[in-house]
Amino acid sequence: MSEQKILEASGPVAAAPVRRDPLALVVRFQSLIGLVVVAIGGIIFSPRRHGEILFLDPDNIANIVRAVSETGIIAIGMTFVIITAGIDLSVGAVLGLSSVVTASMMISGGFGLIPTILAVLVMGIVFGAIQGTISTRFRLEPFIVTLAGLQAARGLALVVSGNQYINISYGEGPGLAPPVFAVLGERLFNNTVPVATLVFVVFAAIATIVLNTTRFGRYVFAVGGNERAARISGVPVSMVKISVYAITGFAAALAGIVHAGQFNFGSANDGMGYELTAIAAVVIGGTSLFGGAGSMVGTVAGTIMLGALANILQLNNITPAMQLLATAAIIVLAAVLQSLVRRREGLGR
Amino acid sequence: MNAPLLSVTGAVKRFGGVQALRGVDFDLNAGEVHALLGENGAGKSTLMNLLSGVYTPDEGEIRIDGKTVHLNNPREAQTAGIATIFQELDLVPSLDVAANLFLGRELMRPGGLLDVPAMRREAKKRLEAIELAIDPARLVADLSIGQRQVVAIVKALSYASRVLIMDEPTAALTVGEVERLFDIMRKLAATGVGIVYISHRLEEVPEIADRVTVMRDGRVAGVTEPHAPQSELVRLLVGRPLDELYPQRAKGAGKTLLSLKDASFRLARESAGWQPPSGISLEVRQGEIVGLAGIMGAGRTELLSALYGTGLAGHWEGDVAVEGKPVKLSSISAARDAGIAFVTDDRRGSGLMLRMAVGLNLVMSVIRRISPAGLMSPRRQADALKQSFGQFDIRPKNPDIAVGALSGGNQQKVVLAKEILGNPRLLLLDEPTRGVDVGAKGEIYARLRQLAAQGLGILVASSEMPELIGLCDRIVVLRQGRNVAEFIGGVDEHTVLAAANGREA
Repeated sequence: MSEQKILEASGPVAAAPVRRDPLALVVRFQSLIGLVVVAIGGIIFSPRRHGEILFLDPDNIANIVRAVSETGIIAIGMTFVIITAGIDLSVGAVLGLSSVVTASMMISGGFGLIPTILAVLVMGIVFGAIQGTISTRFRLEPFIVTLAGLQAARGLALVVSGNQYINISYGEGPGLAPPVFAVLGERLFNNTVPVATLVFVVFAAIATIVLNTTRFGRYVFAVGGNERAARISGVPVSMVKISVYAITGFAAALAGIVHAGQFNFGSANDGMGYELTAIAAVVIGGTSLFGGAGSMVGTVAGTIMLGALANILQLNNITPAMQLLATAAIIVLAAVLQSLVRRREGLGR
Repeated sequence: MNAPLLSVTGAVKRFGGVQALRGVDFDLNAGEVHALLGENGAGKSTLMNLLSGVYTPDEGEIRIDGKTVHLNNPREAQTAGIATIFQELDLVPSLDVAANLFLGRELMRPGGLLDVPAMRREAKKRLEAIELAIDPARLVADLSIGQRQVVAIVKALSYASRVLIMDEPTAALTVGEVERLFDIMRKLAATGVGIVYISHRLEEVPEIADRVTVMRDGRVAGVTEPHAPQSELVRLLVGRPLDELYPQRAKGAGKTLLSLKDASFRLARESAGWQPPSGISLEVRQGEIVGLAGIMGAGRTELLSALYGTGLAGHWEGDVAVEGKPVKLSSISAARDAGIAFVTDDRRGSGLMLRMAVGLNLVMSVIRRISPAGLMSPRRQADALKQSFGQFDIRPKNPDIAVGALSGGNQQKVVLAKEILGNPRLLLLDEPTRGVDVGAKGEIYARLRQLAAQGLGILVASSEMPELIGLCDRIVVLRQGRNVAEFIGGVDEHTVLAAANGREA
């Protein structure tokens, strides 16, 4: 093939305008736009004290990003799964299980900090990988497999904890946790940045790199884009699927450790409904439940937006019931926008 | 003079920048079977969709009995008396025949309960009217494709009875079923129904049609007698003599790439409607394009997917060798390790990630190569894209737009380019030009021939006989999963068809 030919072809054809659907652009950045809108709304409707906007108070902002860090970590993992057109309902329960195991290993097991953290993370990975393996091996819907996983994780957590709160007391010696673990509930840098938020941000950064610049990330998009085409192209589809559930398992375990560190106890019933908040954040972030498209930055923005929205409603003493309704409206809006874009692209109904 | 039963004048239809119909005139008389021929992309489906109310024309009008009608949706077309039978029959397999015939217009007893006996009686009467003995209580899932076709016709005629449009009704039928279907069509025409019969099987035209309209590139290329010589029909269809569309054949072939000797694919589980290769012997050599011919169900697709490991589970018996070495082809990874690449006949379903960018699709089969140490290398990806865009003139020349937005021909080029990037030694192609317009076809043929000249071996299955005859060096004819005849490219179509149907030429 001659260089000439390529140049010829690139000339007038490349110059032809590629129509950019403005709606598609909105959807692509919908969670960032939403975050900006909520922030502006927050400033406008924020209660003031001595003329100071409470919403923008550093303490308040630290509170927002700390409150969303656990569901944020889970949503990061969930983004991988949803891009493969899967779902993981077990994450909230795995968070509960992890908090219980973390607490009991340190308090009644007498394990050190590092072995405990490693063991809990490995447990999360294994739990997720088992769900992924069952789903691929027996061709079951991830919905049903992880629904069973949810029950299993709660059951295990109840067994381990004996349905009791396991309080974490700090100090040296048996039955006490190393004091350094309590840092998860504190703030660094002049008491400004919550440690839990740092964990969330670091995890999000790593996940962004994995999703966008690695072979594995490309495989994740391929499996969700068209599983059969991916298989024919030689993509190890089953390995990819098992891996993404291992990632959500890891994320849920990490969130469970953060949870135990922030609240100083392990509880089998904690993390209930977190899976739904995480899914909401992912969808608001522009990731398609049909698979094949999604963004980690979107998920982070979606997570913070939901947190900021809840915060501004709380500041104005609006009831939790109204918060739920507002979240519902945002989820529907995000989904409708995505569906409109799909229809414009002539894909799907 | 009487107005024709149905007439279309000056129909224009655009989809975005693509002009599917560029001013089409068409008419149909009562009692007539009017064949509508055309290559894929010629516009016959668009015309059919205008008549059945799926699309509305941008320009031009549709008249029934000389009166202008506006068919804004399928229901209005039905009310106007036009019934359409699409290739995907709109029957519910899990319901019985009577329930399907009355779907949406069920007969009721007083009190809102279904009157099943009445519907079965009425269904039986209607089926018998065209001398079809099917028990109305049978599930549609248990019927043969031919019987389903007839049930669909009866259903269509029950709510619109003047014009019947049939989209490639014989595509999935056996020879016997085709005869029966033609009988029914003749009977219907004799009662005054006008039938538009869409097909690309030239050999069926003289048998059933009273008149033939050939479409090409969104226009009517000609209206002719059904008994016009086939060469005339081909010239109208393709717009140029056959030999210009296809590139020069190879001068000679190299060493053997793929060799099957008395090879059979044993399925792990028997499956109805899947014809596994059984006792097949064939060779593909370097630089050679070998065609697989055969009627629907002869096992062309099954052979390719069994070689590539994408079909049903099972294993090969007999001699299967690639470049002289025996191989166990049982999985996609085994096939790829042996240097085999595969392009599916279903590019939207299993070939492309439609919502993803062209560039992402192109590099899909070489991700490993362009991601050293697991990290995607933008430079290697750009090199790969440059190679693909250079080899195949994919338009628009923009790797960032969603592949689903491309035309069928350009999508097909993407699927081909994607596999070529992997530097295969043997390329398996299933229906490489399905849904591709004639211009892109010519380009794809030229590119395949060029790749073969560089040493690639190509095994191509196609249901388009002229394509096999024009493109291939050799044509292997399959019947019931077995190779029954072999011809040199350029052989005449009747000879191949006769072998495919198990008749003497």
